[in-house]
Amino acid sequence: MAASLKAITLEGEKGTWTVFPGLDKGCGLCIEKCPKKCLSWSKTVLGVYGTPTVEANMEECIACGICEMVCPDCAIKVTKKK
Amino acid sequence: MSNHELPRMPKSWRLESKPHKFCPGCGHGLVLKALGMAIDELGIQDRVVFGCDIGCSLLAWDFFNVDTIQTHHGRTTPVVTGVKRANPEAIVIAYMGDGGGYAIGSQHLVNAAARNELITAILVNNTNYGMTGGQMAPTTLPGQKTETTPYGRDVKEAGYPTQGPEMVAAIAREGAYVARGTIANLKQLTRFIKKALQNQMEGRGFSFVEVLSACPTNWRTNAKDTWEFVEKEMTKYFKVGEIKVPAAEGGETDE
Repeated sequence: MAASLKAITLEGEKGTWTVFPGLDKGCGLCIEKCPKKCLSWSKTVLGVYGTPTVEANMEECIACGICEMVCPDCAIKVTKKK
Repeated sequence: MSNHELPRMPKSWRLESKPHKFCPGCGHGLVLKALGMAIDELGIQDRVVFGCDIGCSLLAWDFFNVDTIQTHHGRTTPVVTGVKRANPEAIVIAYMGDGGGYAIGSQHLVNAAARNELITAILVNNTNYGMTGGQMAPTTLPGQKTETTPYGRDVKEAGYPTQGPEMVAAIAREGAYVARGTIANLKQLTRFIKKALQNQMEGRGFSFVEVLSACPTNWRTNAKDTWEFVEKEMTKYFKVGEIKVPAAEGGETDE
């Protein structure tokens, strides 16, 4: 694997939400754990096993970072705005 | 917006080997994340010797940027015991699954606990034999369907599941640390693993952490049912919390 990976970053009011499709295996654990239920399967981007990656609805995302914590592959990075 | 950047992983993880070899949704990734965070927080990456067992846990052989050794059938416990005796400066971790630790390798776990060896054992409990296709393991819950128990585990024939931490706590001497964590509470799990490593570093005794983990591939569950099984079904039989703590340290119960 390369030292850095392709990242898709979404900007929101509370923070930024990044997914790394090269790490995303499509298990869906984060979708169930999201307290705002604002994660869903992407319609366009595929993950490392050819399954859809996850995507956040940035209008609802509160940048709590639970999806980042429960990801077994560290495919999500959430940065809260100060 | 698309660009290139680094994912946020524990520093002790080896980025070159990612994405790791575990199945989608596997609990091993989360346990190793907690272990990685504990190693980072203690700053002991250069002293750790990581021993992994056979089964799915062996796929962690290139997971960390630490010295790693892989052995078979629960022998990871005596192997890291040997490493510790030869090099007392090393901080050794025996990483195994429930098949390796409670079935074929239980004599090693039991005897290491009885001798109060200065090692840290981390056992991942996913209630079946994951790598061989999901057969009944010592930890399969009563009534749970697996490949070899298609009508559910019958306790009359197959007995009750092994409660490892309770067993180890009963054998272990004063100074031992025994706890059971879960992947559903990663912060608590990181604390347990950190305490288990500190217990070894301070030379108090044997440290053992069992982790309730998930195996969506062999349970044939989707994400929702996976969390439900880990959080509701498994905790009915396996109680999360600290089971034995050294007198020098305060305890913590299930939150």
